Amino acid sequence: MNPRPYRFLPHTADIRLEVRGRDLAGLFEAGVSSLFSLMTDRRRVRAAETRIIEVAGNDLEERLFLLLREALLLFSADRFLIRRASGRMKVSGVTMEVRGEAFDASRHAVFREIKAVTAHGISVERKAGEFVARFVVDV
Amino acid sequence: MKYSDVSLNKLSDTMWEVPRTGGMRVPGLIFASEAMMAEIVRDEAVRQVMNVAHLPGILRYSIGMPDIHWGYGFPIGGVAAMDVEEGVISPGGVGYDINCGVRLLRSDLAAESLRPRLPDLVAALHRGIPSGVGSTGFVRLSESDEEKVLREGSRWAASAGFGADDDVALTESGGKFPGADPGAVSATAKKRGREQLGTLGSGNHFVEVDEVMEIFEDEAAAAYGLFKGQAVVLIHSGSRGLGYQVCDDYLLTMAEYMRKNRIELPDRQLACAHVRSPEGERYLSALAAAANFAFANRQLLAHQARDTFLKTLGMGPRDLGMRQVYDVGHNNAKFEEHEVDGRRKKVLVHRKGATRAFPPGHAEIPGEYREVGQPVFIPGEMGNASYVLAGAPGAMRLSFGSTCHGAGRRMSRTQAKASVRGKSIVREMERRGVLVACASMRTLAEEIPEAYKDVSAVVDVVHEAGIARKVARLKPMAVVKG
Repeated sequence: MNPRPYRFLPHTADIRLEVRGRDLAGLFEAGVSSLFSLMTDRRRVRAAETRIIEVAGNDLEERLFLLLREALLLFSADRFLIRRASGRMKVSGVTMEVRGEAFDASRHAVFREIKAVTAHGISVERKAGEFVARFVVDV
Repeated sequence: MKYSDVSLNKLSDTMWEVPRTGGMRVPGLIFASEAMMAEIVRDEAVRQVMNVAHLPGILRYSIGMPDIHWGYGFPIGGVAAMDVEEGVISPGGVGYDINCGVRLLRSDLAAESLRPRLPDLVAALHRGIPSGVGSTGFVRLSESDEEKVLREGSRWAASAGFGADDDVALTESGGKFPGADPGAVSATAKKRGREQLGTLGSGNHFVEVDEVMEIFEDEAAAAYGLFKGQAVVLIHSGSRGLGYQVCDDYLLTMAEYMRKNRIELPDRQLACAHVRSPEGERYLSALAAAANFAFANRQLLAHQARDTFLKTLGMGPRDLGMRQVYDVGHNNAKFEEHEVDGRRKKVLVHRKGATRAFPPGHAEIPGEYREVGQPVFIPGEMGNASYVLAGAPGAMRLSFGSTCHGAGRRMSRTQAKASVRGKSIVREMERRGVLVACASMRTLAEEIPEAYKDVSAVVDVVHEAGIARKVARLKPMAVVKG
């Protein structure tokens, strides 16, 4: 697995990310893990607990947005850090199994506060045999 | 000057019109010098000014301040006033950090006399004020206390022993937005709020000790209790996770509203609802509650800062003389009266990265400042300068009683970080005479002075355009960052 299937795109105030995946599930997994890579060193997060995120949505962009929003909420509301994610696409949405553990200040450094994942200019495209998504997070 | 295929009309040395094209309901108006405008057209901010001009019920202009930069949906540094009957409210026009703002505390101390004590003071402020991600506040808030915070804002904080009634009186809107309804705030937002009241946050939030370097207007400075060589404290923070969650929750509500009512706009992040719709009204009551949380939060931070000064310096409150000058937000939507087409009417003013700047004589300014105008605080780059301004009459004519809010970013966070790679930013700041304590070195690297526009140039534009007046220039001596 490519350890870093994402890159930063220029954006003045916030952070704009581009993530890639071989298929849609891989793309959505990369979206979730890149979000947590922005906040913490995921190698130090143990895959001790499993949580399930399920979202619906009218199109791929909306599904990605809702998924990232729910993933961020795991940390913002429950202080749960994600180590890795494994997704399944369904007819009407996405199911993502995420593994990680509760934030522990003695072991984890969370170096960035992400206020939110925004719907601004969010895109999901198929390009040269892979899927590419772009989105902006407010920091 | 051109942006993409749009020719911008230069109205004066400080004002540019973005002509009405396509689905724009009104033209755009950007306050900037020629040199700034050349930089502004390089990213997407002008496009965003044009997008905002599409919103139903927008009045006169979609406005950009000189510190404008590319945000999401609305630009940061944007102002949009809406007709209350026909117009919309957009959470994206307020931002995630609802009622993020700045508070200034003055003191009777000469900055020079404080300098030897700064290392102790910074360490104590850093210890006493929870900052960084995952930090929790020094107050434990019960669910019923939180309801009071959301309803009463600064007044709750003062009555709970965090500060004086004078602080509350010298806060925008008396530290309390009307119409707040805790019932409109989700359980998740409240949960985040309970843990985070009295925390600074991270990113560009800070508590700063400054020296007053220069006074531009004696009368206003005297009214605000400021003098040259004085030590003052500037606090920048907002509504923390509670505000972010309110914005996030209501963006979904608004997206659904737009689908139902078939409102089409150029960007998903402009999601909105009519001011008079149940969705719009509910968001406005949640917004007021989050704004009150922000007022209470800054009240707690100010209390903590004041307390730290007293204890560290071993002084009494009377000798320290640390009183609040004012507290004003820069991410809001408020009902105000403005003149539109020769008639006074009630409008809803969105300010996202813009500060209310009411001129002398305005009824909403506290008595002691009414003759000189409302204080406005413009934090600049960490190493250089911050400004105290006063509202000016031009703001009522041109910008719905608004002015700029900061320096405005010019470099992305990744660029900023790359440019300091390998250098000690703390040592570099010390070389420039600024002591820094921070929760995260990574955040600090993103906040280097070079990442921002020159705040002095930003302030000169609003001063010349007549939408605020320069009162004093401050220079940071010590900064505590999240």
